[in-house]
Amino acid sequence: VKLLAAELLETREFLPRQWLQTYSAPWLASSAKPGQFVHVRTPDYSGLVLRRPFSLNTFDRQTGQVTIHFRITGRGTEWLARMRPGDSAEMLGPLGRPFEVDPKTRHMLLVAGGLGMAGVRSLVDSAIADGRQVLVLFGAVTASDVYPSTLLPPEAEYVVSTDDGSFGHAGRVTELVPLHEAWADQCFACGPQPMLAALANLARGRDGRLGVARLNRRGGPRSAPLGSPTARRRSWLQVSMEQNMGCAVGACLGCVVGGVDGPQRVCREGPVFAANEIRWEGWA
Amino acid sequence: VTVDVAVDLSVDLGRGLVLRNPVLVASGTFGYGTEYADVVDIQRLGAICCKGTTLRPRVGNAPPRVTETPAGMLNSIGLQNPGVAGVLEKYAPRWASWDVPVIVNVAGESVEDYVEVARRLDGQPGVAGIELNISCPNVGKGGLQFALDPEAAAEVTAAVRAATDLPLMVKLSPAATDIRAIARAIEKAGADAISAVNTLSGMAIDLQRRRPLLGNTYGGLSGPALKPVALRVVYEVAQVV
Repeated sequence: VKLLAAELLETREFLPRQWLQTYSAPWLASSAKPGQFVHVRTPDYSGLVLRRPFSLNTFDRQTGQVTIHFRITGRGTEWLARMRPGDSAEMLGPLGRPFEVDPKTRHMLLVAGGLGMAGVRSLVDSAIADGRQVLVLFGAVTASDVYPSTLLPPEAEYVVSTDDGSFGHAGRVTELVPLHEAWADQCFACGPQPMLAALANLARGRDGRLGVARLNRRGGPRSAPLGSPTARRRSWLQVSMEQNMGCAVGACLGCVVGGVDGPQRVCREGPVFAANEIRWEGWA
Repeated sequence: VTVDVAVDLSVDLGRGLVLRNPVLVASGTFGYGTEYADVVDIQRLGAICCKGTTLRPRVGNAPPRVTETPAGMLNSIGLQNPGVAGVLEKYAPRWASWDVPVIVNVAGESVEDYVEVARRLDGQPGVAGIELNISCPNVGKGGLQFALDPEAAAEVTAAVRAATDLPLMVKLSPAATDIRAIARAIEKAGADAISAVNTLSGMAIDLQRRRPLLGNTYGGLSGPALKPVALRVVYEVAQVV
């Protein structure tokens, strides 16, 4: 983990109020793993006291470049969107625990809701590099918010749903999951909490009957501690969670979500969790 | 060219607790010190005040727990911590091997709670001192009530003083009406040092949802927005103790 200045190389509003920014950050690009995030402070100190967490949307070891994808939701993201190439942002990272992909996994199902694409996007690249098949299910409110297929590698299969039916499947993205769940060895999701809760509910209803979990019945230790990399790999569904964040290194306890074993820090135990680690209803 | 600028920045907090420099990280901002070890050289600090420690473990408040406000932030962690036994088991052995002293921030719901935690910390390797958190605005019981009244502040300070030989610091609330009276009472009750200040209770609203932004409705304000208030408290306290 390092705290360094990263130069902005390219910035563009590729969807209404949604930005894609490319930074030169070799230390991040060389050590990051899919699912990890970076904590960013704008170069200006005027009034903004907290860094902002962003998933590492993509990273490229060769070029030393990383991208972040965000929607303007407040003063911090407004500031970032006003930056110009040549400006620098202070980045702390890579942070958090990555997605755990089982070596046996051939078929990866990625489910993204809106900005949740940023949470799973880097997994697309690594899966293809590792020779795995990837299906991305993407849900948006309406056609104008649909993540462009041109920003995904051609090897990835891409299926879209919109709440209002203006593009692709009409309805929730979670409705598409039953069509593909039997195919998927593992599922990785990022998006609004209700979407993740619906997926977790689906996965719970098929406990042990989906994905690589079936393959672990014979041989090997049967149980791994909840939250361990092994347990996460065996879980059919991993989710990337979001929460207001303070320090991002585990000190302030600001970014917790409710876990079955008590509060879980999104910055430290997460942002990726196995779905069965989270208390989807209620708190603690 | 190197210039020897050996300036003595040490600060004596009493009872043998001498800090190499006056830079302390405030309780709650720095966990148990271990979390930041990858990011900065924590051994350069004057001291670390660890996260608020209570007699029994606490899960803390429902999220969201932090939100940014103009020139500051609100937090409402609710004293999540593993309890004094958990802190001693998990962190104290590591603190004992550090150069930087760790002052354990102690919170409670009653005088008895504070005394019991202090008693358990007394004489433990790795514990350099105690900071009495009588000013947390984010918990239902205890906390703030001791920081607003000179008699209550003196009572809890004296009780803890009698329970431990550790250096004892008491943390003030900026919400006190007459901070001078509180500081005088704390000094008279046997505190070695005073820390200023804790956060000030506040709230923020999500305009679209028309609901408080924090899960606990209220949170403690810190950051640049609070600094002038903190400086005023330091100024007033320094005149009387």
